[in-house]
Amino acid sequence: MAPKFQIKVFQISSFVKNFTIISIVTLSFLLVFFSKSDLYLINGIKNISSSVIIPITRVISAPLNVFSNFVDEYNKFTSLKFENKLLQEEIIRLKKWQTLAIQNSRENKVLKKLLNATDNNLSLVKTASLINRNDTIYTKLINLNAGYEDKIKKNMSAINERGLVGKVIDTTSNNSRVILLTDPNLSISVKSISDDIFSLLTGNGDGKYLVSSFVKENKMPRLGDIVVTSGTAQIFPVDLLVGKVAKVEKNRFFVLPFVDFENIDYLQIVTSK
Amino acid sequence: MFTKLFNSSVKLNIILIISFSISVNSFTLFPNVNNAFYVLFHLTFIYLIFYHYHYYLYVVALVYGVLFDILLLNYVGTHLITFLSLLIFFVLLKKYLIRLSSYQIIFIYFITLIAFLLFEQILANLINNYKFNLSLIFNFFLISLIIFIPTVFLFTKLDK
Repeated sequence: MAPKFQIKVFQISSFVKNFTIISIVTLSFLLVFFSKSDLYLINGIKNISSSVIIPITRVISAPLNVFSNFVDEYNKFTSLKFENKLLQEEIIRLKKWQTLAIQNSRENKVLKKLLNATDNNLSLVKTASLINRNDTIYTKLINLNAGYEDKIKKNMSAINERGLVGKVIDTTSNNSRVILLTDPNLSISVKSISDDIFSLLTGNGDGKYLVSSFVKENKMPRLGDIVVTSGTAQIFPVDLLVGKVAKVEKNRFFVLPFVDFENIDYLQIVTSK
Repeated sequence: MFTKLFNSSVKLNIILIISFSISVNSFTLFPNVNNAFYVLFHLTFIYLIFYHYHYYLYVVALVYGVLFDILLLNYVGTHLITFLSLLIFFVLLKKYLIRLSSYQIIFIYFITLIAFLLFEQILANLINNYKFNLSLIFNFFLISLIIFIPTVFLFTKLDK
């Protein structure tokens, strides 16, 4: 008669269990302790999360993404007629501006020659496209498909055709993270074009407006004033378009950014020359 | 065979993966979807700890804690500490929780969820210096109120 098979149940001893738990807690403590440093392990984890985890999460959340895109397309389709009317009005307005701009540009060239001034203070590092966004919970971050292999470094400015979008806060080999202007944790030093009023702006938390956290000599800009980067903090290049003063209160003012943060596809990473 | 393979613990882990994936990918048209799945992740994780406690949950807490921190806050800390401390608290208080009735457990479950979300905001403020967002907490609280009962109902169905 054949002998009966006996199944050996392998039970993890309490020593192994306790050792695993203690190791995980110790590892966690070390990770928290060194998370703000540029250690190889921390950079490795960030690299894996942006190059492996983000694509996986995008695949898993793809059905919802498709639905979101469908709703977006439907909304655009229904508002086509209204948008068309707006665009026609804008074309007429822009044509008037174009004539003025050409005249100013000629005048500008002549004046620059007289002053021996350089044309532009920006140098383009890389144009990158958006991979995904994490701008709902906690911070307003977006991920781009270019990293330090494309010469992108921390603290470089991200702009698009409308103006300043944000600042690079982290780079891995092929990805970088940009914190948006609307994040309440980012401050930018700005000045108003007409009166040269210097102030600090931060995100208001609603994702729409920027609010002043400090105004030099408590001088308030006028409603409708255009606000640009002042370049005083030496993080953002000088004279990048930020937004328009939308509301002025006794001790603070609100700025509506020129950039439409909900429709960002491509960004240019720039730095001062 | 499949019913054995897909036991309730595995199903709950699949819910964890899906809710994690959706909460770290923002949809500009539906920002509340991200918040809802973020709350669902926390609900599922607490449920796993309360009803399916196992040592592998420490690894789960480590992985999701680090990933949430890096993807949402860019620095490791807030979520990792919260997840691990919840596990440790559960182990310490397990003997008291067993004595409670099912209604009391449900109440504790909800309180834990709200405390969990609030603790994360406080930690993010303390460790990473992120501004305390009261409207986000209020939003999480409302979402928790809405999805709590249906989710618990779904989880108990999965367990049966």
